[in-house]
Amino acid sequence: MRLFSRISSVRLLAAFLALWIAPTIRAQDQVTSQVQQGTTPQDQVTAQDATSLQDSETISPVPIFSAGLAYNSFVQGGTDHVHPLVSPVILVPLGQNWLIENRETFEIDLAPQPGSNGNYKGYLQKEVDYLQLDYIANRYMTVTVGRFVTPFGIFNERLYPVWIRDLQTDPLILPISTGPSGAGTGAMVRGGFNATNKVEINYATYFSTLSTYTPLDSDRAFGTRAGIFLPGPRLEVGGSYQHLLQDDHSNAFGFHFAWQPPPIPLDIRAEYARSHSGSGYWIESAYRLSQAPIWQNELRHVQVVARMQQFYLGQVVDGSLPGVNTNMFEFGMNYYFRDDIRLVSSYGRQFAPEGGNMNVWNIGLTYRLALPVGHGEVR
Amino acid sequence: MITRRINILGVLALGGGLALFAGLAQGQQDQQGTKLVADSKPAPAPAAAKTTSSASNSNATAAPAAPAVETEEAQLAEGEKRFHDNCGRCHQAPHKLAPRMMATAIRHMRVRATITDEDMRLILRYMTQ
Repeated sequence: MRLFSRISSVRLLAAFLALWIAPTIRAQDQVTSQVQQGTTPQDQVTAQDATSLQDSETISPVPIFSAGLAYNSFVQGGTDHVHPLVSPVILVPLGQNWLIENRETFEIDLAPQPGSNGNYKGYLQKEVDYLQLDYIANRYMTVTVGRFVTPFGIFNERLYPVWIRDLQTDPLILPISTGPSGAGTGAMVRGGFNATNKVEINYATYFSTLSTYTPLDSDRAFGTRAGIFLPGPRLEVGGSYQHLLQDDHSNAFGFHFAWQPPPIPLDIRAEYARSHSGSGYWIESAYRLSQAPIWQNELRHVQVVARMQQFYLGQVVDGSLPGVNTNMFEFGMNYYFRDDIRLVSSYGRQFAPEGGNMNVWNIGLTYRLALPVGHGEVR
Repeated sequence: MITRRINILGVLALGGGLALFAGLAQGQQDQQGTKLVADSKPAPAPAAAKTTSSASNSNATAAPAAPAVETEEAQLAEGEKRFHDNCGRCHQAPHKLAPRMMATAIRHMRVRATITDEDMRLILRYMTQ
């Protein structure tokens, strides 16, 4: 069985490697084929540029297949976890104003089972993160129907994909008001517009119905999120509110903050959320060493990350949240081979009563691919 | 314990392999880029032709050619700024995609990241040049 476990790990590694290499080989094949046909990529790009310069808006969009992939190894409180994940995304534009978006996640948490002589076991989890139809009604509003990621705070909707997040672990407060699966099923109105030259406003208002069908679980609720973005200092602040239309009809609210000071490659993000199940916050900073005075060629690929978070237990127990008051500090270092391939690593220390103190180590790889479906070329 | 070591060693080995492969791929891209730049050097005319054709499409006469270039460059500079302002809020700046893919990706980002209509147009123009 242990040999089988090792073979499974090797297979997962091989599958990850194959998925990573495939588009590169495909791109190389395209270049080879173009050279054989007597056209260079530059000819093709020049022709496309000529079209683009005439009017970028006349470019007809092409469906895209994209995916986020991750292979993470965690050691959590002395227990190993191997966590491969594939999250395919399909985007299908229709006409000038419509878009179909779908993202699903397939992941396995492999861990040694008690009494199984160290054999790794786990089961495949399938989630439909979003499957939605968007209609861009005008410059102020987009109407969405279907299954959508709950727009509460910023992590769930913007930072959740494995190839985006700087630390691979979820914030402790993530389950607050994002529902049983982080998604809602219903309708949403959202948009962003310029209030003045220096102020942008974004908003999302949604209604979700109850769904108990796995993997399309969702709560019956309505909510809204609004944010103000100042492009000059690259600062965004905003708030979220949700009212549950089932069970105890409770309210939840939260605030978010994001700042990328223009002169330096630093990201600072923070969230606070409060509901009847608990409250808490996380604050994270990530610094890319692209301005290091020494070894710049090497260090510009390196990003250092730190996150601090606290969770306070509420009046109602929610199984997806910690069962006790919990504090956690995490430090990470990521290495960007390219903008789409990273080696990620982190160390965290969790402090919680009743034997909840533990170390959390992580090392892994993340990758994002994007391929056209139909007539599109990788530049 | 052995399995843990195997997992960590496996990830490290895979990371090393990816680093090597990415380095080789980057080297190939650099070589191709150098070749393409060298190939394109003898023919600067198309660039000028592109800007003037853009100007002619906007019913401009021969005299305002320079302002048209400035406008184009200003739009691209503004597009680059909007790109870093908006896209950098969540993730590292991605490499450019083919124009038709970019047109889809920017529509996706308009919905997902609630970027404004103006930002979308300027970023699309910048990313497709």
